Amino acid sequence: MSQIQARFFTEDKRYVVDDVPFSIPAASEVQDLSNVINKLLEAKNGNKVDFDFLVRGQFLRTSLSTHMATEGISTVWILTGSYDKTARIWSTEGKPAMTVAGHTDVVKDVAWVKREGLTSLLLTASLDQTVLLWEWNSERNKVKARHCCRGHAGSVDTISVDPTGTKFCSGSWDKMLKIWSAVPTDEQDEIEEPADRPRKKQKTQQLGLTRTPLMTLSGHSEAVSSVLWCDSEEVCSASWDHTIRIWDVDTGGMKTTLTGSKVFNCISYSPLCRRLASGSTDRHIRLWDPRTKDGSLVLLSLTSHTGWVTAVKWAPSHAHQLVSGSLDNLVKLWDTRSCKAPLYDLAAHEDKVFCVDWTESGLMLSGGADNKLYTYRYSAQQAEA
Amino acid sequence: PVTPTLDCGSSVHSSLVGVDTRLSSECVALGLQRLSSDIRNTVGNIPMEWYKDFPHIGYNLDGKKIYKPIRNKDELDDFLDKMENPEYWRTVHDKQTGSDVVLSDDQVELVNRLQRGQFGDVNFNECEPMVEFFSSDVMIHPVTNRPADKRSFIPSLTEKEKVSKLVHAIKMGWIKPRRVEDDGRGRYYNLWASEDSSILARHKMHLPAPKIPLPGHHESYNPPPEYLFTDEERALWEQQDPADRKLPFVPRKYSSLRQVPAFSQFIHERFERCLDLYLCPRQRKMRVNVNPEDLIPQLPKPKDLQPFPTTRSLVYRGHSGLVRSISVSPSGQWLASGSDDGSVRFWEVCSSRCMKTVQVGGAVKSVAWNPNPSVCLLAVALDSVVLILSPSLADKQVILSSERLLSAQQEGEEPAEGNGSVVWSEAEGEELNQGLRLKIQHPKAVHQVVWHAKGDYLASVMPDNTSHLQVYIHQLSRRRSQNPFSRNKGLVQCISFHPIRPYFFVATQRSIRIYNLVKQEMTKKLQTNSKWISSMAVHPGGDHVICGSYDCKLSWFDLDLSTKPYKMLRHHKKAVRGVAYHRLYPLFASASDDGSVIVCHGTVYNDLLQNPLIVPVKVLRGHVMTHDLGVLDVTFHPTQPWVFSSGADATICLFT
Repeated sequence: MSQIQARFFTEDKRYVVDDVPFSIPAASEVQDLSNVINKLLEAKNGNKVDFDFLVRGQFLRTSLSTHMATEGISTVWILTGSYDKTARIWSTEGKPAMTVAGHTDVVKDVAWVKREGLTSLLLTASLDQTVLLWEWNSERNKVKARHCCRGHAGSVDTISVDPTGTKFCSGSWDKMLKIWSAVPTDEQDEIEEPADRPRKKQKTQQLGLTRTPLMTLSGHSEAVSSVLWCDSEEVCSASWDHTIRIWDVDTGGMKTTLTGSKVFNCISYSPLCRRLASGSTDRHIRLWDPRTKDGSLVLLSLTSHTGWVTAVKWAPSHAHQLVSGSLDNLVKLWDTRSCKAPLYDLAAHEDKVFCVDWTESGLMLSGGADNKLYTYRYSAQQAEA
Repeated sequence: PVTPTLDCGSSVHSSLVGVDTRLSSECVALGLQRLSSDIRNTVGNIPMEWYKDFPHIGYNLDGKKIYKPIRNKDELDDFLDKMENPEYWRTVHDKQTGSDVVLSDDQVELVNRLQRGQFGDVNFNECEPMVEFFSSDVMIHPVTNRPADKRSFIPSLTEKEKVSKLVHAIKMGWIKPRRVEDDGRGRYYNLWASEDSSILARHKMHLPAPKIPLPGHHESYNPPPEYLFTDEERALWEQQDPADRKLPFVPRKYSSLRQVPAFSQFIHERFERCLDLYLCPRQRKMRVNVNPEDLIPQLPKPKDLQPFPTTRSLVYRGHSGLVRSISVSPSGQWLASGSDDGSVRFWEVCSSRCMKTVQVGGAVKSVAWNPNPSVCLLAVALDSVVLILSPSLADKQVILSSERLLSAQQEGEEPAEGNGSVVWSEAEGEELNQGLRLKIQHPKAVHQVVWHAKGDYLASVMPDNTSHLQVYIHQLSRRRSQNPFSRNKGLVQCISFHPIRPYFFVATQRSIRIYNLVKQEMTKKLQTNSKWISSMAVHPGGDHVICGSYDCKLSWFDLDLSTKPYKMLRHHKKAVRGVAYHRLYPLFASASDDGSVIVCHGTVYNDLLQNPLIVPVKVLRGHVMTHDLGVLDVTFHPTQPWVFSSGADATICLFT
């Protein structure tokens, strides 16, 4: 976090600056901020004034970054989707910032397209067979549906945004993978209307502009449970038909198939160690090498869970750590170098764990059927919930 | 001069004979000379011609020369002497002294005795009886007290050397072992080789006579006191008929064997024994020596029959009454359950979340998803109504087509009132919002509802022993109901459609009847050998049926094989409540009141000659016994090897 978006306002008419966000180094202190204001006001009045700054009603005395850390002002937001048909944005401290409601059915998966700046883009996939692309203004705390991605004929269970943030891929119960554009535009894609659809149903409230898929990848024989981008050209998908398939997005063809013996619930790919981790309906987490052509070679099995493994996630900054969640109410932190037992059992949930994730700063997140979102901090030797 | 020594018996004789042969005239003369005059030559036993050229012939004891006598006798003198001297024959010449000696009578007698081979001593008795000092008899006082030689008790070294030489020679092949003459071939022949095998078999049928039982403590002359008869026993023994007696005699006790009298029954007992031998049953007892392990058929290990459900993964909680019936949507995404609490719940399979609850107002007996994947409808049986629900848990197209199927009749003509007992009506108002679409009112309580594979027909069961109106087949698109049977064949328990062909399975209490719906006739009747059928499932191939019964049995029928069960499985402890086949995997499951679900592997082969392979693979437990009821229904996931079970404890379990 090097730059911070900041907006300056005052009641004194003499020192009013334009009401637009400025990008300011996070390390800047009061003096630096005064210099910025003086620079901005140079045109209006020449003499130099020393300003004092209030951040959310508190005087700024240290550098901006330390102040934000001590006061608990976060710029990292957590996005969750829930069975109550909404998605929510949370701060890392656990304060709900925004409720994104618009789906007519259960939200199955969520993803950030863009998180930097004041306007973020986020995606929600739902059982109502649509994916919604939202624009969220963090400052005004307003959310607006930009696009409604229609095309799936089953519940959209998983979405994943490509590393460049321009495309995303969705996997659905209808056995299809679809690639969509993630760039918000103002045009509506043409959609062929089924002829026999009743006219009156046409005019249901439509959130955002309709968008159609760029590409459809079909090949799975069962529902797609998890999808991710290995890099900007490769999509990897896991399915209930006991396979993990790797697809070439440019050509739309399938490259590799890894065959397992059980239904796959989730996969995760680490660009650091270039391994795929999969969780399946037996209690094992398996590591795969996606580059093997013949496939179906399990490098390592991590066994400690006693229920289905519903979520796995590699650490974003550590090549050997991954976190997993299971139906046995446990979240486990693993190090692949000690494959016999997990590093930590995080027993916070009182019901099934459905999702786990990491933040950039190394915070672990998990959500479960007990309607709670837990964050875990892992620092050197200790973990705390 | 010659005295026999007594060293050893044999050497005595030989030394005497030796003396006898050596006895030439000079030796005797020497001895005689020694006796008469002590003129002794000391030169020893040398050839006397060495002194030929000397005047003396030797030296006497004093060392004085013994001079040769003046020999002046010539041949003539000798002759004259021979003629004239009567003593000539007993005169011998002594070479050592050179003088002539005349032998006395005793000496002549001795010489004669020796020449005759007799002992020199007249008094010696050569035929004295021999004393055997050295014989095989061991004497108390040994002749010699010499300890035994060492060589008498250690192996002989020379023998050892000799043996080792022979062994080496045999090893090297220098000595060949003696050839054994192979003469057995021609000497004997098989007398019965050409005999008929039946005669041989008769020879083999030798029966040994029955053996006499060995005597026990009763027969002892001094039996332990408990074997002796008490007074009552003796009275009883005497009263009994001899044939009925346990023992043919009374055990008696004697202080010693001497006092035992002669056995009075001996002749009688021998006679009985002869009768035994004569009348012994001439029958061969065929004893079967079979290892019980060999009688168990060779079944593959369950480990090799993966995949099958093994562990309880998810529990679907939410019902408040016992869950009588469950059904999985054809896509495998949704699970519908009907409970005694009057609600039908829809669950998401993978997360166990209840997505929808429909209050139907009555204990739900049976739920069934429409197997057609292009429509999304659920049939629910409660009380005397069959409800058709549209849960709208599918693609919009599917929901639309199912709505169309339900409303197809409205555009058509009036519902054909074939028999007035079944009334079709549409749901209205609040019920419509809940998803209720149609109500089919039956005259009696409906027990079960099943769909045809195409999804247009459904059949319902109203068990009633007194009427022929037990089964109705409804057609959804035309809203028509008909009763296919005109006669009552028994209390109908459950029904099922054939998955492919137009057959209809009806299970009554003890048998399953199969009807051909096109020809409208019964094609087969399966005898289950069980007392009361509870449930039935038809294999997706259509050639096999399993049926569970309240007397804990599960019977598998191969329709091509027989009307009798191919296999009966008695694994459950209590009544079997539900059975199910998997659509794709070779698995079937049975649910029972003992709270367990047993999953079996059942491979069906296309080859008609090969019987199905049935292996029980797993007992799944997850339900709590409630009111003596365990698991009430069981069903498989349509695509995964997972099994759902619903129990009396108001939960549904998913085993994967």
